Amino acid sequence: MASRWALAEDLSATAIVAVGIVLGVWAVLLALELRARRARSIAVVLSGALALVALVLAFMRPARVRAEVSSVGARVVVLVDRSRRLLLPDDGSTREARARAAARSVRERFSNARVTVLGFGDGEPTPLSLDRPGPPPGDDSDLVAALAALSRAPGERPGAVVVVSDGRLTRPGPDEDEAELRRVLGDLGIPVHTVGVTEDSPPDAAIRRVHTAGAAVAHQPLALRLEIACTGGLSCGDVPVQVRELRQGEAPAVLADGVAELDGSERATLELPITLDRAGGRVVEIALTAPKGDRIPENDRRILTFNVARQRLRLLHVAGRPTYDVRSLRRWLKSDESVDLVAFFILRTDEDNPLTTDDSELALIPFPVDELFTEHLPSFDAVILQDIDAVAYRLAQHLPALERYVRAGGGVIMVGGPSAFAGGGYARSPLERVLPVRIGETDRPYDLGEFVPRYTEVGRVAPALLPLRELVSEDLPRMVGSNTLGPAREDAIVLWEHPERRAGSAPMPVLALGDAGDGRAIALAVDGTHELAFSEFAERTAGRAYGALWDGLLGWLMRDPRYEAARVQLVGSCIAGEATRLRVTRLPGTQGELELTVEPLGPEGTPRIERRAAMPASGSVEVDIGALPPGGYSAHARVGKAPATRFDFACERGGAAWGDPRPDSARLERIARLSGGRFVRPNRVDALPLPPPTEVATLREVVPVLPPWAWALFAAAALGWHWIERRRSGLA
Amino acid sequence: MDPSRRLVLKAASLGVAALSGARALAFGEAGAFNPRLLTGGARQPLAGRETGASRWSWELVRRTSAPARLVVSRVAADRPDLCAEPFAIWAGSTDAGTLSASELRGLSRFFALGGLLVVDDSDPENGVFGRSARRELARVLPESPPVRLDPSHVLFKTYYIIDRPVGRALGSGSVEAIVRGKAAQAIFLDIDLLGALARGGDSWAFDVAGGYAHREQAARLAVNIAMYVLCSDYKDDQVHAPWLMRRRAGLRR
Repeated sequence: MASRWALAEDLSATAIVAVGIVLGVWAVLLALELRARRARSIAVVLSGALALVALVLAFMRPARVRAEVSSVGARVVVLVDRSRRLLLPDDGSTREARARAAARSVRERFSNARVTVLGFGDGEPTPLSLDRPGPPPGDDSDLVAALAALSRAPGERPGAVVVVSDGRLTRPGPDEDEAELRRVLGDLGIPVHTVGVTEDSPPDAAIRRVHTAGAAVAHQPLALRLEIACTGGLSCGDVPVQVRELRQGEAPAVLADGVAELDGSERATLELPITLDRAGGRVVEIALTAPKGDRIPENDRRILTFNVARQRLRLLHVAGRPTYDVRSLRRWLKSDESVDLVAFFILRTDEDNPLTTDDSELALIPFPVDELFTEHLPSFDAVILQDIDAVAYRLAQHLPALERYVRAGGGVIMVGGPSAFAGGGYARSPLERVLPVRIGETDRPYDLGEFVPRYTEVGRVAPALLPLRELVSEDLPRMVGSNTLGPAREDAIVLWEHPERRAGSAPMPVLALGDAGDGRAIALAVDGTHELAFSEFAERTAGRAYGALWDGLLGWLMRDPRYEAARVQLVGSCIAGEATRLRVTRLPGTQGELELTVEPLGPEGTPRIERRAAMPASGSVEVDIGALPPGGYSAHARVGKAPATRFDFACERGGAAWGDPRPDSARLERIARLSGGRFVRPNRVDALPLPPPTEVATLREVVPVLPPWAWALFAAAALGWHWIERRRSGLA
Repeated sequence: MDPSRRLVLKAASLGVAALSGARALAFGEAGAFNPRLLTGGARQPLAGRETGASRWSWELVRRTSAPARLVVSRVAADRPDLCAEPFAIWAGSTDAGTLSASELRGLSRFFALGGLLVVDDSDPENGVFGRSARRELARVLPESPPVRLDPSHVLFKTYYIIDRPVGRALGSGSVEAIVRGKAAQAIFLDIDLLGALARGGDSWAFDVAGGYAHREQAARLAVNIAMYVLCSDYKDDQVHAPWLMRRRAGLRR
């Protein structure tokens, strides 16, 4: 049992300082007073000194502390790097396997200590079992965040930290200021030992980093700044690099080519401008052609998802003749400040006679069909074909380009009229292949029977028609005929149908939506939606129903999230070979089972994953789609009968974490040195110093010398004696 | 002529539905230009100018790709079907009288939906109808007084390039309009446009001061007004601007 003196435990440092100052001032004043009065009575001095001591003791109340103490092993935290980078191959094994082996050696080395093994990556470290596979690794290895979390943690502070890593940490970075690093390590106040798991820098050509200058905006050039590296003794000269956009249903589109000139250097920077024409999530592949001897081919390409914003919607509106239907659509499009509208209306045909041969008297320009549908077509976000004859106006020859345009991500709307669909020569045309309905040759391209379009079950829940339904419920104006359409395509959605006409065994579609490759298409088989803008029916809503309808249709066409039936997102990130999960959130109004299909971006014919899941009444559901190979993917989630929502995403093998496979032992050495720790190799873990054991008191007894009242009485008596002596010597 | 237009013309020429006031239209015709004659306030003697509206459609159909209804109808300012279509012509030669409260409401709804009304003074020499129509429309749209349209306004280049408005009479040589937002919603003509277009049997109903040339100018203005109704400011689009500026400059040289 050990014994020692102690002061009263209820005294704070501030109180001790305050009392010390008061008593010190008192002693000084007494000395000055005695000197000034020349009354040098020994009794006054003695009584004063005694009173001072008595007051100090009454305040401090000394006690005797007896304790029984036992020693336990120090607490040691082993931080194992959990970055995906450690999955890199390393001499027949992986860095991760070596890190686990090293951590086991550390645990053995500190067998007398209390060892906690944690994995660190992004954010706070988490417990890690060295014998079982851990959670999926992340992109980062943030040691600074892990050490900060340890210093903040309540309870016993560790006696030492051992970091097991390859040294290529996200933080502290390679150029971290020494003072800053010292500050981070100083917060913890204990030695940080480091174990470098590898020295092997494999021969490798890699896309080390991808930077973009600003955000991606549709139709605007985006500069990709690529850092290409060649390390580990691999000899690289000129390294070709290609950037491609992965698209659904067709071959990737080359966006840019370049060459990284690495002659004699380890690193080169290459700037490639790319232009993405379609808004939303676009998957872009950046790939280099590596020289022979490259040991890590996985980091030769990056597959990234760019969220492309749209500043303005660029629309091409082509109409075969001016009508009130054209008028209404144009007026609505022009009223939207965010729409850049390019319109061409056929105002005069060869049969028309303007009664002048002088063109200068006419305000007409030739319909630039060739220019529009070749040179300028990709610059439009969507094309609206309203009642225009494809044959008469030489549009037919451009329909293959229009099909490619839609498959590449463009949008198209065909609005009805006598010259639309079969009446305009679109039957069996390439454009028909991307429309959501079949057209088919017919000798009756349109019907003259009046009718009111009927909502389908899907139409009742489709968010694209929600704004319209909110205004006029399911009421619709009477139409004076309809185009003749065939049945809807397999994946298409019919929102309105004809109450009497049939297409095959089903009612004839009147309004249908469908995906085609990367793009979307809408078929509207009537020319009377202007009745929503201007008619006795329109008066009910002051014409707002027209805007509500077209806002929804155009919004759906442009993948505006407001008009999607569900929201799909990745849970975490998609890493090739690891289980991937998608979270699907149902939007209000939709109900039913979730049908989820995932297919690789690229030419059709590739296998696809299909999942079904019950959707909860509210909230979201997570669906495991298994392990995917590297590539771009398109997920289509359909809740009940609502239109499917599309979500494109990229899946990489190593991702950014594999961009730089070189180990960085120097950084680990620096961390160890600045914290007072030691850097070792896995085979030299025995050289790590053992931290001193922690003493734990098992029994503690506090015995005061006197009770507080006795100290107070003693002080009072001493003060009283001092007061008497002062009076005797003539002091006040 | 393409089949759709033939259909429209055929349906329109029958005119049975229009005469009866019912809306039994064919596919493609519901959006056809229809110069309806507005009635409201004091009854106006048109003296055969009704046929001018029909001729207006006929000129539009033969000169342009726009479909139009040849047999036109009358529509009362206080009837709900005023808001069935976005165009009407209010023509007359005497004081327009005072519009009733229900007529004011009807016209107010028509303009609120974006309708366009042409006020055509059949007797521009004394201008009584034009002035009274302005007075009454000021009660409907008190916040929007008529303004003179600039010669560069799109109305003068929607189909033909026109330097000045001409009808049966030459008028003031300008066009005034109530402009709301960017759109002209009430166009005031002091040229008796319907008079220039009206037919009496196989010949023209009224003589035109400048003869054939002026009657042709009147027909061109009518076509331009129809195109303005159907395409609004289409010819103000950026893609058309350089062409039209060059042509207008050439025409004036």
